[in-house]
Amino acid sequence: MSLVAEAFVSQIAAAEPWPENATLYQQLKGEQILLSDNAASLAVQAFLQMCNLPIKVVCRANAEYMSPSGKVPFIHVGNQVVSELGPIVQFVKAKGHSLSDGLDEVQKAEMKAYMELVNNMLLTAELYLQWCDEATVGEITHARYGSPYPWPLNHILAYQKQWEVRRKMKAIGWGKKTLDQVLEDVDQCCQALSQRLGTQPYFFNKQPTELDALVFGHLYTILTTQLTSDELSEKVKNYSNLLAFCRRIEQHYFEDRGKGCLPQHGLPRGAMSAPRI
Amino acid sequence: MAAPLELSCWGGGWGLPSVHSESLVVMAYAKFSGAPLKVNVIDNTWRGSRGDVPILTTEDNIVSQPAKILNFLRKQKYNADYELSARQGADTLAYIALLEEKLLPAVLHTFWVENDNYFTVTKPWFASRIPFPLSLILPGRMSKGALNRILLTRGEPPLYHLQEVEAQIYRDAKECLNLLSHRLGTSQFFFGDMPSTLDAYVFGFLAPLYKVRFPKVQLQEHLKQLSNLCRFCDDILNSYFRHSLGAFSCVNRNQQQTDFGEASLLLDKKRSMPICRNSPSL
Repeated sequence: MSLVAEAFVSQIAAAEPWPENATLYQQLKGEQILLSDNAASLAVQAFLQMCNLPIKVVCRANAEYMSPSGKVPFIHVGNQVVSELGPIVQFVKAKGHSLSDGLDEVQKAEMKAYMELVNNMLLTAELYLQWCDEATVGEITHARYGSPYPWPLNHILAYQKQWEVRRKMKAIGWGKKTLDQVLEDVDQCCQALSQRLGTQPYFFNKQPTELDALVFGHLYTILTTQLTSDELSEKVKNYSNLLAFCRRIEQHYFEDRGKGCLPQHGLPRGAMSAPRI
Repeated sequence: MAAPLELSCWGGGWGLPSVHSESLVVMAYAKFSGAPLKVNVIDNTWRGSRGDVPILTTEDNIVSQPAKILNFLRKQKYNADYELSARQGADTLAYIALLEEKLLPAVLHTFWVENDNYFTVTKPWFASRIPFPLSLILPGRMSKGALNRILLTRGEPPLYHLQEVEAQIYRDAKECLNLLSHRLGTSQFFFGDMPSTLDAYVFGFLAPLYKVRFPKVQLQEHLKQLSNLCRFCDDILNSYFRHSLGAFSCVNRNQQQTDFGEASLLLDKKRSMPICRNSPSL
């Protein structure tokens, strides 16, 4: 968006308070949603819970196409539609709620850097695993991605998405990586997150920020999603402080509030049933 | 005795040991960690390969890509991060991710996509270092690769026009430069008094942007306003690359005196001067 358009949207956003009927759209929980989209959706839900803003989760098969940027999740608030965590954080800030106001400039720089690390390594690894690893693609991804559509549309859409993701992987240099190298990168990323978290309850000590929401979204989804093998979740399980971190956020922001809108039932292993071919 | 380490990379100009970001990252890291590297600058003979540069060659290994080369050097006990704490190591990874996501698209755009810059500076420079007829094809291919990368990673809806993508990536790059400047503050290096991997990466990305003379300079102008980052680049150039700068000053002097249309002709003439061909080992 150009600067003028952004300023305009901020003005409109600031004018109205957060309504009661705000909704978050994602794909169908049980049969359609994939690992990376689920992680993104959970991150946004966690962020809104941390800001104490009510949100209703609605599952639609065509959520990806409804979204203004083509990515899920997106929220529908008043008469505005905003997608992806970054713009949603900005939007919520324009309405007067922010988790990172108490941070100084250096801490804000660190927070942004770590969010990019998660996007750069964890999200890309999830996409790689879903779309470039033959075993996972054949067994899980194709079936899930095309499940709401009739034949032959389900195959066409799945192949089209796979081609798109593979092109992007090639452009950023991940096309030639093997699965082991990708898992190495995930391990490195988790190690960095674990070292940064240390023994603190959240990344910036007492109060959670959008970084905590993002990390929670990804790690929780990795831990509770059943894939063809356990290697990805094993990498995360090596770091006990990350496990404790996920449990803490789950208990504090989801169970205690009685919200129960998490797709899985607690750590370590939930029941995200993937229809296996 | 350690096996000789040879690095193939793109050469220098405008006061820099290399104008290619990734090559510069490796060269800076080698200086910081004390690794004895023999630098083979790519010239327009058919010797050596040009794909996937920089490339590190030892007796038994060929390693490409800066991250892998740095890992290899660390395994050979040339470690610039020895003094860092675990948390600083984690911060390093995070900031490198920030550079690659937010700054790299704009740097690629400034060098390879912006038409004025590409046709007057980048293309003649690279073409003079690639043998004919490859010099007609390779720069174009590198430019398309850069545009492709920018569009695939940042050109998603609702940004439908290239101009909107450009506006967004330059905004992100300026924000990234501001964040780096805040993080550096008044220290000499990012983690105290000794340079580390993060300093090598920041130097590699910023120095070409800072020093190369372009017609279209919006990002460069923004960088020049952040005086601590400029001081950071100058300090590293003066402390670690002073000896090799003498070899490049002949190219530098002439480029300052002529306009860009003639730069490629002059570079062709300089080919025959021994001092520019055999670059000293770093």
